[in-house]
Amino acid sequence: MLRVEQLSHSFKNGNESTVVLQEISFHVNKGEMIALLGSSGSGKSTLLNLMAGLMKPTEGNIYIAGHNIVSMNENQLAEFRRKHIGFIFQAYELIANLTVRENVELPLVFQSINPALRKHKALALLEQVGIPDKAELYPSQLSGGQQQRVSIARSLITEPSVIFADEPTGNLDTKTEEEIIMILKRLNQTMDTTFIIVTHEREVADHTQKIITLRDGYLVTDQGPAAEPILIGGIHSES
Amino acid sequence: MRVSDITRLSWDQVRRRKVVTALCVAGISIGCAAIIVAMSIGESAQLYIEKQMNSYLKMDEITVTASNGASRGGDSSSIDSETLKQGKLTEQKLNIMRQIEHVQAAALYLQLNYMEVFTLDNLTSQFQTEIIGTDLDKLTDFGNEFLQGAPSDLTGAIVLNYGATLGLIDEETRKSLQEQINANPYDDALYQQYKNLNKMLTALYQKQVQLRYYSSTGEVISRPLRVIGVLKKPTGASEENLLYDKKGYVSLETARMLKKELRLGEDENETYNHIVVKVENQKYIEKIENQIKKLSVSTSTNLYQKERLANEFKIIKAAALGIGVFILIIASISIVVAMTMSTYQRRRQIGIMKVLGANLGQIRNMFIVEAALLGLLGGLLGVLFSYWIVWGMNGLIRSFSDEQDAVIIFIPITTIPIGMLFAIATGVLSGIYPAISASKTDALTAIRRD
Repeated sequence: MLRVEQLSHSFKNGNESTVVLQEISFHVNKGEMIALLGSSGSGKSTLLNLMAGLMKPTEGNIYIAGHNIVSMNENQLAEFRRKHIGFIFQAYELIANLTVRENVELPLVFQSINPALRKHKALALLEQVGIPDKAELYPSQLSGGQQQRVSIARSLITEPSVIFADEPTGNLDTKTEEEIIMILKRLNQTMDTTFIIVTHEREVADHTQKIITLRDGYLVTDQGPAAEPILIGGIHSES
Repeated sequence: MRVSDITRLSWDQVRRRKVVTALCVAGISIGCAAIIVAMSIGESAQLYIEKQMNSYLKMDEITVTASNGASRGGDSSSIDSETLKQGKLTEQKLNIMRQIEHVQAAALYLQLNYMEVFTLDNLTSQFQTEIIGTDLDKLTDFGNEFLQGAPSDLTGAIVLNYGATLGLIDEETRKSLQEQINANPYDDALYQQYKNLNKMLTALYQKQVQLRYYSSTGEVISRPLRVIGVLKKPTGASEENLLYDKKGYVSLETARMLKKELRLGEDENETYNHIVVKVENQKYIEKIENQIKKLSVSTSTNLYQKERLANEFKIIKAAALGIGVFILIIASISIVVAMTMSTYQRRRQIGIMKVLGANLGQIRNMFIVEAALLGLLGGLLGVLFSYWIVWGMNGLIRSFSDEQDAVIIFIPITTIPIGMLFAIATGVLSGIYPAISASKTDALTAIRRD
């Protein structure tokens, strides 16, 4: 479903070049939920941005649903993101002047989908994330956890091949974090959507089927879904 | 992306960003109002002058005069060739002219001369009255209306126009007033008194007046006439101008009699000065004039005055439009600045939209529609402003003018879509740069928080 091949990326700062990612290769199967784990500066956010087509790598290829996104231009990438990719942001990134329902519908607006169908799908997803009664409220009227549920619903509305979640629980308290992780796990199982969660928290990564650990731009472990629990720095994860 | 969605999202921004909206709408509305007001002043002034010209130059009339009888070609075989050959104005030609399609009226005129008109109590005007012989029954066909009385065939009867009844003062009063004015040339009160006397209306209906004519030999010849009618003041004509427009209409029979009595020339073979043909609409003038020319007569119209006027006003209106467009260009700078600021403030939102799948065109279109909506709002407000400005200007004109028919500015309905079009176009053109700039926003840079 998602295949990263020999991906390298570096930033140029004057004459100096800083390597952020070095020859990363891994693959994710359809319907898997994986975690990109790493400390700050490990390159995990850069890897997420590259996989989402928001940046171009210095070297390597990224295949999503059989398409190499590295060779696409900006409009092709926009089209591709619209159909195949969903996003969940750490800070939710909802549009303040749109209602909860309108925020969820927004990716479908860019696809010229019929308003009635959009509304129907948005309400169904809000039901799934547990906030059907908040549809006509504005984001500012919701708690952080509720806003993240809206963000999750929005990421799912286009029925994407893969959803990238960038520190989805980073702004939440422990109890809400647990709730959000449970929602993601449930949706992953029921909707058969691939989730790639970027996190620096081991506790969050432990909920996924596979953990890809990055350190200083290198892939340290690629734990397969069928593997036995593997110790990473003294902490274990389950497949 | 659906048009309704683009419009809704853009309208939402217009509604939400009140300061940006207010700045842009204010600029556009001023420009739009400037265009509408400038064009309205041009149109109103043209119409006013046309109306004034029409009341004096009668642009819907053709003046037909006798020619030497030279044939001007055309199909004249059906007409009595003996009469046509001579090129004279005859009753027969008059009847032919009356038959022409779109001719409203035609009448023969026999101009006598300018004469002094005295009342029995010796009141007279400083300006002489033109005495004209015509068919009095036809006066109303030429747009004249009777204020008092009615036409009559009685010999020795006269119908006076409105101007002929103005400013009749006795000689001594006039002389004394003129002497006072000469002695105190800067006395406004005296001058105003003199002006008011000249505008004073004298009741002459059913009164006897005396025509006084000074012959070339210096002999003074008088003839009494009875005023059987007074014509109404022509619409659109100013009182000032009517002072100089003094006319007395007599029947053709009375005219012939006066001609003889006042020794205005002996003419055995009766000739008329001219025939006036009134046409239903100015647009038929040229066509009818060509048909009349086939009767071997000479014709003239004042239509060229209208064309000359239209050409002059074309320049004035173009200049007015230019001023409005210049103001709109200035206004467009405010839109570019305000919308570019708005684009910068909305970078994050644009970034999110791009991440969610909006392409360059969709982002660009949202900004352009937003700019067009600002233009539309500015245009609507500009229309309201223009009505308010015109209302104020009309109030000012009325307060400075003592004339009832002072030029009144009106807003022609055609100027409103023109103003709106310019307003929306300004909005769209001004929105292009911010729209392109917004669409080029890098999504990753825009959503990055650190």
